[in-house]
Amino acid sequence: MQTLYVSQQNCYVCLQKETLLIKQGENIYGEVQLPLLEQILIFGSSQVTTQVIRACLLRDIPIGYLSRMGYCYGRILPISRGYRQLSRYQQQLSPIEKLITARAIVRGKLKNSRVLLRRQRQKRESEVLEKVLLSLDYLADQAAQAETCERLMGFEGAGAAQYFNAFSECLTNADFVFSGRSRRPPGNPVNAMLSFGYQVLWNHLLALIELQGLDPYCACLHQAHDGHAALASDLIEEFRAPLVDSLVMWLINRKMVHAESDFEFNNGGCYLNDSGRKKFLKAFLQRMTEEIKIDNGEKQPKWDILNQQVRAFKQFVYNPSHSYQPYRID
Amino acid sequence: MFLYVIAYDIPCDKRRKKVADLLEGYGQRVQYSVFECQLTTEKYQDLRRRLRKKLNLTEDSLRFYPLSRHTLSQVESWGVGPSVIEPPSSVII
Repeated sequence: MQTLYVSQQNCYVCLQKETLLIKQGENIYGEVQLPLLEQILIFGSSQVTTQVIRACLLRDIPIGYLSRMGYCYGRILPISRGYRQLSRYQQQLSPIEKLITARAIVRGKLKNSRVLLRRQRQKRESEVLEKVLLSLDYLADQAAQAETCERLMGFEGAGAAQYFNAFSECLTNADFVFSGRSRRPPGNPVNAMLSFGYQVLWNHLLALIELQGLDPYCACLHQAHDGHAALASDLIEEFRAPLVDSLVMWLINRKMVHAESDFEFNNGGCYLNDSGRKKFLKAFLQRMTEEIKIDNGEKQPKWDILNQQVRAFKQFVYNPSHSYQPYRID
Repeated sequence: MFLYVIAYDIPCDKRRKKVADLLEGYGQRVQYSVFECQLTTEKYQDLRRRLRKKLNLTEDSLRFYPLSRHTLSQVESWGVGPSVIEPPSSVII
């Protein structure tokens, strides 16, 4: 997945033949070949010319507009995407088929969170860690049998609270203090990075969901409300720990980010600033292009597992008796 | 993903310019009329389709050489000019 991330502020993106130029005044920050591009994400207040928008619409390249911290305002998509054949099948999924999938998703999330913590246990001893590992196991089993979506959300919430408790034990850099998840706004640098990472990932998933022709507003675990693309929120669950949390942990423990110079405080929250955002995206990209072995022995960049899961969900929609299997690490 | 070496001989200045501009979007120019492009099958078909519209096959000549990963590692480059093209990757500005 080749993406152009414009995280620098007050740039403008213009078209020159087959190339996009990212400029600020007469300064050219970069050139990108349009035909090889799959997605453009604009963070903050950079401009995109109408010529670029038109060229992207013609080529099925979505443009996402996000806040500087990664909250997605919306996207520009070609009109032909409006016709949704698959969505009819999605809407015909029965409540029990949805519940089974929602259970699998929550269980997958809890299991992946647990694996991340288990790997940390080899590096340090901690009573909290031991306790949380046990209770995540218990909650994952409970989730697999939950009778309703409300109960399922309960187990998920309990799991997340436990998990973040143990997550803070695993941060070894004293500059970063983390005593639990806070969002809207994120209260400290750790939360700022988590929120930013989830938003970037969420947005990618949304783009992939659109590319596969699925209806992003029709989901199993999350309720679609106020135009919330619930399917992206469903599919992100299994990836939070392996793709974002582990990266945040690595950036902090290896002292790749600095609590002072990579963050800014405004409107009562803490956010990554220009340098922090760039560092984060760079590390994120590097991880996502790392190759891993997939089931058939072939090597694929990590990007591909996102696509695989979206495709797996599509298969499930076409054929609900084959249940959806979330991505698992071990 | 293959590396394609694309070479052309086009007598008409206008057409040659158009072909070169199009190829600039898909790869890098390594000699005056030789391009290297790392493309998926899909993008390659896309490029061929768009190129075809710009050509006059009674006068022009184009050659496409696909190189597999195996032979790619044996590519040598002598003298001046850019190094062998890398696969496309994401860009952060």
